[in-house]
Amino acid sequence: MNQEELTAIVDAYPAKMEYALAMLQDMQHRFGCVPREGITAAASRLSCPESHLYSMVTFYKALSLTPKGKHIIKVCNGTACHIRKSIDLAEDICETLSIRPGGTTADGFFSLELVNCVGACALAPVMLIDNTYYGNLTRKKLKKILASYLEEKP
Amino acid sequence: MQIVINGTACECETGETILTIARRNGIFIPTMCHHDKYPGEGACRLCVVEITENGRSKVVASCIYPVTHEITVETDTEKLQRYRRLLIAFMQRRAPNSEAIAKLMEEYEVPDYSLRSLLTGKCILCGLCVRACKKIGISAISMVKRGTGKKVSTPYDEPSPVCIGCGACARVCPTGAILVTETEDSRIIWGREFPKKRHAAAGKKEE
Amino acid sequence: MKKEILVCCGPGCAAGGSFKLAENLKAAVKACAAEADIVCQVESTGCSGMCEMGPIVRIMPDDIMYYRVKPKDADEIVEKTILKEELIERLLLKHDDGTVAVHQNDNPFYAKQTKVVLRNTGIINPKKIDAYISRGGYEALKKALSMTPDGIISEVERSGLRGRGGAGFPTGKKWRSAASFNGEPKYVVCNGDEGDPGAFMDGALLNGDPHSIIEGMVICALAVGAERGYLYIRDEYTLALNSMTHALKAAEERGFIGENILGTGKKCVLSIVRGGGAFVCGESTALMKSIEGEVGEPRAKYIHSVEQGLWGKPTVLNNVETFANIPVIIRDGGDAFAKTGTAGNTGTKVFSLVGKLRHTGLAEVPLGITLRELICDIGGGMQEGRKLKAVQTGGPSGGCLPASLTNLPVDFDTLQKYGSMMGSGGLIVMDDRTCMVEFARYYIQFLCGESCGKCTPCREGLRHMRDILTNICSGRGREGDIELLEEIGEMMQDCSLCALGKTAPNPVLSAIRYFRDEFEEHIKHYHCPAGMCPELTAFKINREKCVGCRRCAEVCPTGVISGTGNEPHFIDIRACVGCGRCRDVCPKEALETIPVSLWSRRMMKGSRGYLRSVKTPEEDE
Repeated sequence: MNQEELTAIVDAYPAKMEYALAMLQDMQHRFGCVPREGITAAASRLSCPESHLYSMVTFYKALSLTPKGKHIIKVCNGTACHIRKSIDLAEDICETLSIRPGGTTADGFFSLELVNCVGACALAPVMLIDNTYYGNLTRKKLKKILASYLEEKP
Repeated sequence: MQIVINGTACECETGETILTIARRNGIFIPTMCHHDKYPGEGACRLCVVEITENGRSKVVASCIYPVTHEITVETDTEKLQRYRRLLIAFMQRRAPNSEAIAKLMEEYEVPDYSLRSLLTGKCILCGLCVRACKKIGISAISMVKRGTGKKVSTPYDEPSPVCIGCGACARVCPTGAILVTETEDSRIIWGREFPKKRHAAAGKKEE
Repeated sequence: MKKEILVCCGPGCAAGGSFKLAENLKAAVKACAAEADIVCQVESTGCSGMCEMGPIVRIMPDDIMYYRVKPKDADEIVEKTILKEELIERLLLKHDDGTVAVHQNDNPFYAKQTKVVLRNTGIINPKKIDAYISRGGYEALKKALSMTPDGIISEVERSGLRGRGGAGFPTGKKWRSAASFNGEPKYVVCNGDEGDPGAFMDGALLNGDPHSIIEGMVICALAVGAERGYLYIRDEYTLALNSMTHALKAAEERGFIGENILGTGKKCVLSIVRGGGAFVCGESTALMKSIEGEVGEPRAKYIHSVEQGLWGKPTVLNNVETFANIPVIIRDGGDAFAKTGTAGNTGTKVFSLVGKLRHTGLAEVPLGITLRELICDIGGGMQEGRKLKAVQTGGPSGGCLPASLTNLPVDFDTLQKYGSMMGSGGLIVMDDRTCMVEFARYYIQFLCGESCGKCTPCREGLRHMRDILTNICSGRGREGDIELLEEIGEMMQDCSLCALGKTAPNPVLSAIRYFRDEFEEHIKHYHCPAGMCPELTAFKINREKCVGCRRCAEVCPTGVISGTGNEPHFIDIRACVGCGRCRDVCPKEALETIPVSLWSRRMMKGSRGYLRSVKTPEEDE
């Protein structure tokens, strides 16, 4: 991460509290997390305590303090997916990648998240890898999909 | 204007909270997260009362309910007692090491609900400390995370560079949850050490 | 001859490759454009509703609907259907009797729907403002500009429209109240933070018909005297955000929003706020805090938002679907709108039908329709061989209703009377293989992570409810647990700070109300009749039914099913982990659940249900 980019993100918005969330989200999108320097930069731009922004970063699920993996697997555990056994799929991913929900693989390649509803309930169970939807998942399909991602790994 | 609390007519002004009016008239309502110096938060819910208006009754938090028209208030019905006992039991499971809560348990004869919990500590997350720190314009601490995992902390759980060591947070804490270590020439709070002299000045300013 | 190929690009169809499909269709059309005198336009639309059968392609004006279309089918569609007017039978919907559905309304999923809110969704390209205008869009705004604020509000009052976010507060009354308060500036806020897990209609609407929402918001702003509005949209809804950003820009260029609306000198500036990912921000006061740049903790609503809302100023906050109804009300009049639905519950409601149904997707129906009609006629009934057990409406704030109550009309008041609520429109259908205790536990676990954690009843009540329910599901339930759940639930309903906390125990309380036996079965007999709680499930093969097809043996992860071909099989229950994969594949329903004896529970200890109890690191303890 570089300071210039950070400054650009922070300066893209007027110095008003209502833009705090947008600034933090932009950092999250750009860096995969909200870095410490980011909180400091936003706090000084908005003239607010750092603790306030820290509170926000830990409150909102879209924001995180630690970097995410290169590919983010979001297994939907919305109600529709839940009753179509999305947990079993998550379990499979956990086993295949030796990872826990909320965690990142040791090589930083995958992050696994259990999320609440991605808005494609009719295709339950669903997962998202980065921004691609995979619906009507079965264990077999899951295996294939994971393998296709693992292929690009050096 | 007048409202009736437990059968007693109480004079009041529009916008005053039920708690303020009750206290002025010597009627006791238990609270944990309330402090006269700070605006009401309605977090602990121990101060719930039953109000009746237009023949309909509902349960409200007296510390933040502003009176706008004539109502009757009951502060100690059987239902409220039941609710308070459960709330106190919840607080005890959240903060099993707090003596203040243990005392409340006895006072309110809270039965054993056999609730299981692995938590230790003394904090009931009432947020008074955060409000106190904010009021003096420091905001070294804040609420962190959400839901059942919520806690009070400094950013990154590290000693805060902006903390002035005034100890206001510890003074307002109703359960003695904030650890302040006093030695002859220093005070340690939120993991940071302050030489005595400086803190005394800061403390005075806060009061 | 002019033709249009509509390609659904809602999230469901997008998952099936509809973006690629649209591209291919465009290329195919371009390739043969010269050779025929057909002008053919390919349009990407929003969600067309029957997501489960997607990607869906509809050819207009012939109204031919193709389902499960693959990107590689593009050439064939253009070649046969567009150029030669031939049907491709394999892409049509087949009825059970073997006949095919050619037109949209030949499909029972669509035939029973009444499209008011979804009038344009799935028909127009949301990126083209002219498509919206050509279907009567922004006419209501022009009409509203010639009306008095009072006139607009009266029209909305006459329509009887009630807030579609869940609470069902009369919209006209809210607007009148906001208009009556002094305080500058006033705000209009659109709640698009659809957090109910299992509902996706707001996302579909934001993506598929953004201008209807914009138009509704501007009309609201005119009525209450606001000049500034915010659309709070979930950050996860990439497609919706994209669509809405585009629409706002287009609307501003045409002068429908901005500093000088259509030259009248009236003003309404709208902007998008991306949600931070918090279910609690669907609660109006928390949402406003979030817009202000704070943590999304609700405040008590003893003073209403219409008086003191965003930045302490009078604010009207309505749901996406509510706003989308407004243009229709103003254009056709409140009385015309009120003809749909029932007295006191006028208009339509969009539901996201999900769960163990044959046809899942988005359906808009008049209020007052029965649950049975929704499930059986539109949803096509249960998946093969399954029996309806319960319906959950209203998501984590609602409750479940047993199969015996499916004759109830779906409206705000009736469902509430029976311990559920209509909510924002999530409708989850459960079969006899869904455990109601586990289902209640699921919602409570969800809420534990989503509660803001500010007040004791909600934060601690949920935590203890979750623990009790987890214990019941894993065979550690105790006598008195059900009563304790009820006591905690009652207290939460009365003492919690916000609507989220007050409604949080509903899934548990309604499950206890209608399925108390099932709770008791778990506690007293260590048996999960639905076979969903692995620690309380053992399977037995019914030797009468088993045909020895070996499918169960093939999927068994622990290899405990033995038996030779064509002979009834046998499960060694000592090493069975109760995962139920065998039951899922059995074609003869030969697998039955039996109570887990104390002996086998000890044997199996530790090997079961491990992920169900795995907690994400954010959690406490």
